[in-house]
Amino acid sequence: MNDLFKYRAPTSRAELFSLLAAHGEGARILAGGTDLLVDIRSGLVRPELVINLKKVEDFSELTWSQSEGLIIGPATTVNDVLHDAKVRDCYPLLADCALTIASHQLRNRATVIGNIAHASPGADMAPGLLCLGARVQIASQRGRREVPLKDFFTGVKRTVLSHDEIVEAITVPPGTAGSRGSYRKLKRIDGHDLALVGVAVTSKDGAVRVGIGSAAPTPLLIEGLTDADPADAVVAAAREAIRPISDLRCSKEYREYMIEVFVRRLLEEVR
Amino acid sequence: MWMSVEVNGHIYEREVTEHWTLLRFLREDLELTGTKDGCSAGECGACTVMLNGEAVNACMVLAAEADGATVETIEAEAAKGELSEIQAAFARNYAVQCGYCTAGMVMSVRELLRHNPKPTVAEIKEGIEGNLCRCTGYQQIIEAVLDVSGQITNETRGGLKYV
Ligand SMILES: Cc1cc2nc3c(=O)[nH]c(=O)nc-3n(C[C@H](O)[C@H](O)[C@H](O)COP(=O)(O)OP(=O)(O)OC[C@H]3O[C@@H](n4cnc5c(N)ncnc54)[C@H](O)[C@@H]3O)c2cc1C
Ligand code: FES
Ligand code: FES
Repeated sequence: MNDLFKYRAPTSRAELFSLLAAHGEGARILAGGTDLLVDIRSGLVRPELVINLKKVEDFSELTWSQSEGLIIGPATTVNDVLHDAKVRDCYPLLADCALTIASHQLRNRATVIGNIAHASPGADMAPGLLCLGARVQIASQRGRREVPLKDFFTGVKRTVLSHDEIVEAITVPPGTAGSRGSYRKLKRIDGHDLALVGVAVTSKDGAVRVGIGSAAPTPLLIEGLTDADPADAVVAAAREAIRPISDLRCSKEYREYMIEVFVRRLLEEVR
Repeated sequence: MWMSVEVNGHIYEREVTEHWTLLRFLREDLELTGTKDGCSAGECGACTVMLNGEAVNACMVLAAEADGATVETIEAEAAKGELSEIQAAFARNYAVQCGYCTAGMVMSVRELLRHNPKPTVAEIKEGIEGNLCRCTGYQQIIEAVLDVSGQITNETRGGLKYV
């Protein structure tokens, strides 16, 4: 890597928060590094300090309880989630999403929170987490706040986080445990590729939710649908919400078409 | 940064350049050039090594992150001066042509067999999905994995119908 930066690996929250507060925009958080190192190499970001947060005590948390649901910590990898028995039991959709990300080696490093914090429109964990009502727990030296995942993204690679804040956890409420649903990702090749489109659909207690990636500047959630709505109505709601573009991977029209195909197939599956 | 890392059973304590990747550290500082640099972008898997027992792309890890860690590279495979079982199976099944992908492939296969001693063809494909090979067409590599996991006989060898 050509760019020079300093590296720190704090072991406590206090140390992490004070480093972030002191360095402001010049500091970047390193989780799995699978997005950050690519951005540094390409010159897109030029941090003066890279802060590895994986050594902070209890940041590898991945727990489930009836009262709090699922808690995913900042160092929890995509493979941790993919292989977790509780995740497979309560939120199999998340394991579905996880399996579509990159390759085995990358999933051993890539974190779930890094996938969300990077805020790529095509982040594969986003549609599933959106459908399951995930919430983002944000922390800094100044205190803590909680934001629903659907309000976390503000644009392409933009979020509500300020420079001194971290995502301390993503929580998935116990209420959506046991949702039926799955994820479909359209790729150009069978191996690893970013999503041309990604669609998740869930159904729980009569409520139908649709999460869509790579179809707008941010991942989208469509709520307020029920099991009684005909497929045409769900497709119409999806069409209304998406703002796809044409890019080097495929055209806007192909995205629109495949989103409709996936929504219909997934609805049949969950109903 | 001053760091201590165990690589292939040896402990190295030294100053590491903070913006270097683990790949560059292994190749240029420790002169362990068995691990290859194909893309430097996490795409090709040529740089696959074991970090604390898990396969990772060494080009996507900072050397400094390996402080206190255990690393194993392809050099550990033939440590006793003989090919490991995986390497021997690669040779027996013609799973090596130019060889550029081989170090990373062997590491991924090692990781796969650790979790799953008798993988199906579909599981083998998934296990090596992060490793590109531009020569073999993968058939011989899949065959080598079937061989080393005891799932191939001399009659079925060379079937080449896996992709
Ligand atoms: C070859 C390749 C293939 C890929 N394939 C896919 C794919 O198929 N699908 C997909 O969705 N992605 C893919 N990615 C992108 C990437 O691997 C994922 O987005 C991954 O989950 C990012 O997690 P990370 O821990 O590596 O993030 P990092 O790179 O460590 O961080 C990403 C960003 O989030 C910030 N950040 C990380 N953690 C926190 C935190 N706790 N609080 C605040 N900010 C934080 C970092 O500062 C950085 O800006 C791929 C990447 C590569 C290199
Ligand atoms: S060199 Fe690391 S994945 Fe290609
Ligand atoms: S043998 Fe040449 S790239 Fe695999």
